Amino acid sequence: MVKKPEIIIEAKALEFNYPGDSLNRSSAINGIDMTVNRGEYLAIIGPNGSGKTTLLKLFNALLAPSGGEVLVEGISTVDHEKVPLIRRSCGMIFQNPDNQLVATTVEEDIAFGLENLALPSAEIRQRVTEVAQRLHLDKLLLHPPHLLSGGEKQRVAIAGILAMQPRCILMDEPTAMLDPSGRREVLDTVKALNREEGIAIIHVTHFPEEAAHADRVLVLNQGEVVEDGPAEIILTDLEMLHSYNLQGTAVVELAALLRQDGFNLPTRILHNRELVNSLCQYERKS
Amino acid sequence: MSIRTEKLTHIYMPGTPFAAEALNEVTFEIKKGRVALLIGPSGSGKSTLIQHLNGLLKPTSGQVYFDDQSIQSSKAELLRLRRKIGLVFQMPEEQFFSETVFDEVAFAPRNLGLTDESLAESVYNALNRVGLNAEEFKDRHPFNLSSGQKRLVAIAAVLSIKPEVLILDEPTAGLDPAGRQKLFNLLADLNSNEAITILISTHHFDEVVTLADQVMVLKDGRLVMDGPRDQVFNNREKLESLGLALPSVTELMQDIAAAGFQVKTGIYNLEEARREIGRMKERQF
Repeated sequence: MVKKPEIIIEAKALEFNYPGDSLNRSSAINGIDMTVNRGEYLAIIGPNGSGKTTLLKLFNALLAPSGGEVLVEGISTVDHEKVPLIRRSCGMIFQNPDNQLVATTVEEDIAFGLENLALPSAEIRQRVTEVAQRLHLDKLLLHPPHLLSGGEKQRVAIAGILAMQPRCILMDEPTAMLDPSGRREVLDTVKALNREEGIAIIHVTHFPEEAAHADRVLVLNQGEVVEDGPAEIILTDLEMLHSYNLQGTAVVELAALLRQDGFNLPTRILHNRELVNSLCQYERKS
Repeated sequence: MSIRTEKLTHIYMPGTPFAAEALNEVTFEIKKGRVALLIGPSGSGKSTLIQHLNGLLKPTSGQVYFDDQSIQSSKAELLRLRRKIGLVFQMPEEQFFSETVFDEVAFAPRNLGLTDESLAESVYNALNRVGLNAEEFKDRHPFNLSSGQKRLVAIAAVLSIKPEVLILDEPTAGLDPAGRQKLFNLLADLNSNEAITILISTHHFDEVVTLADQVMVLKDGRLVMDGPRDQVFNNREKLESLGLALPSVTELMQDIAAAGFQVKTGIYNLEEARREIGRMKERQF
């Protein structure tokens, strides 16, 4: 018997309208049915205003659905008493870490959520130490967060979530404010958490290069899920991406132009090395 | 005619235990009508540098010159300069405070004393300039626009005083590909048709790099690289050691060259890359 994947998040006929937003003719979220499985790395892409951030906020119970429902590990997000439980199992990382770091030292910041759970201090200490080691923040524990680099700040934010032992981490453009090495730092951290600890990741991004880290990619447009599939299929379907005003990575775009020029290249080229390898084979053949 | 700095040094909170040197003897020149990119890791001093260029920060030592006039020479000079050098901050739409798009864009020209028709004219021109139909947008609430439209309104607010130099700090942050493209087209147009000098500080330069004549790299407050675009991006090892990346297309071309193909690597957009690989095919295959 095939084991059924365990569902972490389920949206059923989900709808959301921002109150008083009469100017927008359509809803922010317009009838979404989807599930996220345990241990999955899901990227969500879509143009500005397509509902990506709204969807994450609905998953995290920061917003309550106008219609339909969201179940996080089987618990509805409108169940007020269970909201802390939902936020513990699905933590959220925002675009700008400065909006999310609250304490005067890294240590206290990581411990913030745990203290609110009123855990015994010995356990808090232990979890903070473990998480800090896991994310290579142990040398920074006594530093004030505002003096860290962008990548370090974002890792502190992730550590605060991780200390809660979540099943899932929601990330809203987590690298938008970071430099290239900060971006790499955060993406490597998140990938390791996903691969090694089976934490599900839902990653909203404007960058196809980042979505390429995911197993599965979902395209949102005007509050609806318009595409949903494996990264190598969604991110190489340029005709579809362009139809929603999205772009492919540089290599996907270039491979498409080269095919138009008569290069016989495989259809699913997503990474630089794949194009380089194809060109090498080309050379050998001719 | 240029904007330049000479041994610009800035120390935050000098003389206290918290003193931090943000800029160390930075000297550069951007010639009139050119487009320069300012890149560098977080905390390297990019925003501090930018704030000196229109006098928001005073140097601890060193000078900023605009058209060979020191901007610190007098208060009048500083005011004159602020009209000529427009600064677009990071996430400028977070600073919106007006009820309508018109008032948002009118803020600066109103402060310069414009009223009635000349005010309306400068607002309408600025909105149309960024590709927003003034009639359609002037009465809308700035908060009810899309992120891309908000960014354009913020830029219109700076263009309303007709600057000669436009400085943008991370202008594409948070924009989708369509928004980034629109902004790119606008900057290209301002530069080529109105000879506006442009300085862009950014981590995401895939689009704007195609416009750049000059690239400057800051690290720990020092200008560690400054030169024509090809020269800077040819030095991949040094850039990577500074924690920086190449433009994606350039990186791809360098990966192809590293596999033993004879291709030019100073390439920044897809069409150039396509032509270069086509030429390579004719030569080698």
